[in-house]
Amino acid sequence: MNLLQLLKPQGNWRFTASISSGIFIGLVFFILYISNATSYLSDDPKTCINCHVMTPQYATWSHSAHRENANCNDCHVPHNNVFNKYFFKAKDGLRHATIFTLRGEPQVIHIKEEGRQVVYNNCIRCHGNLITDSKLLSKTDSYHHERTTRLCWECHRETPHGRVNSLSSVPNAQVPVLGSPVPKWLKKLTSDQ
Amino acid sequence: MSPGNLTIKGGFSWILILVTIVVVFILGLLASSIMERRTEATFVSTPQVAISEFEPRNDVWGKNYPREYQSWLQTEDTSFRSKYNGNAEIDMLEVDPRLVVLWAGYGFSKDYNQGRGHSYAITDMRNTLRTGGPVEGRNSPMPNTCWTCKSPDVPRVMNDLIKEKGDFKAGVAAFYAGKWEGLGPEVVNSIGCADCHDPKTMNLTITRPALIEAYTKMGKDITKATHQEMRSLVCAQCHVEYYFDKHTVEGSPYLTFPWAKGMSAEAMESYYDEIEFSDWTHKLSKAPMLKAQHPGYEIYSTGIHAERGVSCADCHMPYISEGGQKFTDHHLQSPLNNVANSCQVCHKEEGSQLMSDVYRSQDRVIENRDQLEKLLVRAHVEAKTAWDNGATEEQMKEILIGIRHAQWRWDYAAASHGGSFHSPVEISRVIGTGITIAQETRIQLARLLIALGYVGEVPYPAIETKAKAQEFIGLPIEKLEAEKQEFKEKTLPLWIEQAAKREAGYGVTIE
Repeated sequence: MNLLQLLKPQGNWRFTASISSGIFIGLVFFILYISNATSYLSDDPKTCINCHVMTPQYATWSHSAHRENANCNDCHVPHNNVFNKYFFKAKDGLRHATIFTLRGEPQVIHIKEEGRQVVYNNCIRCHGNLITDSKLLSKTDSYHHERTTRLCWECHRETPHGRVNSLSSVPNAQVPVLGSPVPKWLKKLTSDQ
Repeated sequence: MSPGNLTIKGGFSWILILVTIVVVFILGLLASSIMERRTEATFVSTPQVAISEFEPRNDVWGKNYPREYQSWLQTEDTSFRSKYNGNAEIDMLEVDPRLVVLWAGYGFSKDYNQGRGHSYAITDMRNTLRTGGPVEGRNSPMPNTCWTCKSPDVPRVMNDLIKEKGDFKAGVAAFYAGKWEGLGPEVVNSIGCADCHDPKTMNLTITRPALIEAYTKMGKDITKATHQEMRSLVCAQCHVEYYFDKHTVEGSPYLTFPWAKGMSAEAMESYYDEIEFSDWTHKLSKAPMLKAQHPGYEIYSTGIHAERGVSCADCHMPYISEGGQKFTDHHLQSPLNNVANSCQVCHKEEGSQLMSDVYRSQDRVIENRDQLEKLLVRAHVEAKTAWDNGATEEQMKEILIGIRHAQWRWDYAAASHGGSFHSPVEISRVIGTGITIAQETRIQLARLLIALGYVGEVPYPAIETKAKAQEFIGLPIEKLEAEKQEFKEKTLPLWIEQAAKREAGYGVTIE
């Protein structure tokens, strides 16, 4: 007897059980749909403003030079291997989603230590040749002192999100907003005409 | 129950159903929470009011952009006076009565004040004696073109007329045509948001045709301007030299920038000479005069700050931050009233040092400007004396051109306002050439006067005060003031009433 058999409603309760599990599964799909769940598998920065909390980060990034070459995930999730990428992303994402759902987001969002390390490693991933002197194929003199004990953004403070950090730091930002989840055909059907 | 299959006991099923009910209920709550917060996101990132295209009312824009709007409101402040200008209303004819003589026969001899902030644009224009006192049966001496720079109502009305005429140029020409009282009830909101901003994107935008046309004539495409250039070009829609061209479209004083040959005093002068344009004929000397308006942008372009890529907004609307939020200060004013946010962003010197640097430059430029001004007063009076002693047109021709050119250069420098700071070297050069031309002309006048039998110095007129100077040129100031008063009592209330009625019909209402 396989697992599917076990889960399949049977006996006198078949009808009731089918309906109730159908409702249950349908509701799960509905939630996946309205929470835009599939977008979380992508690298599209718009995903990060599915909820509006990251709007200042999105707006400042979209006015920065990094916009041209790096999306949110390029910096904020690890790229050492694909499993770690999705593991970290899921872990971070679920935490964000939980805090957001519980309305626990702070007025000023700070990156956690683990995330900080990820971003730091990603700075080096792209800008590594700024740290080592490629001509000599060796590390520069000040390498240890300057580059391993400090974070890049201790000096590059505006990169890329600017210095002002608050949920309300970009009051007039024009960012993509999730539209209504009601499909067009249904709207047409239910409108007055 | 079907035998052989896995059976579920009745009690257990009930529990399963109850659990499912609870789980589905909670999932339902989660779903509505997600829906709520999706809606919240649209509210957070959606403006308070939808600003329609050509919305002229600044307070409607202010609903969405309160910080910018509130700083713009501060242009009502008139408390700052720098050494020479500032935002206070200063009667410049009183400060310098020589101006009355230089502008004899032209509107500026009636009334000329140091401009106040943008929010006074409409009030000051209604108040000035230059626009006259139009009432039933008496027209203003000025055309509707004068409204062009005063209000965000202008692009609105122009757009209506363009639609009505079905042609861009014809619509714009229709706006300019007719006397100043024609658009009085239409143009009521002072210079503000819609003059420089696109209502959808808030990007800077050019709303005045004259600048676009001037760019086209120079073979440039203004839509290719960078954002930093736009931070000056939106100002250049108005803070420039212009004239009313009567030949572009017949019957319409068409606002035109004389930039086809270049922006220097010489280039514009030769442009005007070529098309034989004059703003007016001088009452005393009968010279075909040019009135420089305010070539602020042209002169700024020749200065070191423009050279280094500093825009108008960088100093006149510097970034400020309020509660940690950075935005552009829309309190447009003299940077001398805000040295910390403007000059000191780049210059590390003390504020007082920077102020005195500016004043020193201004002092030195005005010294020579005053010299040129006195020479011009003398030249006008001497020319009048020559006419009075029987000079012929042939004898006077070259002299009058000399007076025209010398005063043009004086006015190019004087009317540019911040010119002695924006580009002190260029201003000094222009004044220098003006002095040379004025003196050369006076030598010709001296020869002519002797030939006509006039011996001795033509006395410098007694023009110590504005009143004396206006009396000297024969200006009926009391009549003008009475007409203005009549306009304020009879015409103006009707304008305001009509405008309020029209605006009450607009889509977005406030409060």
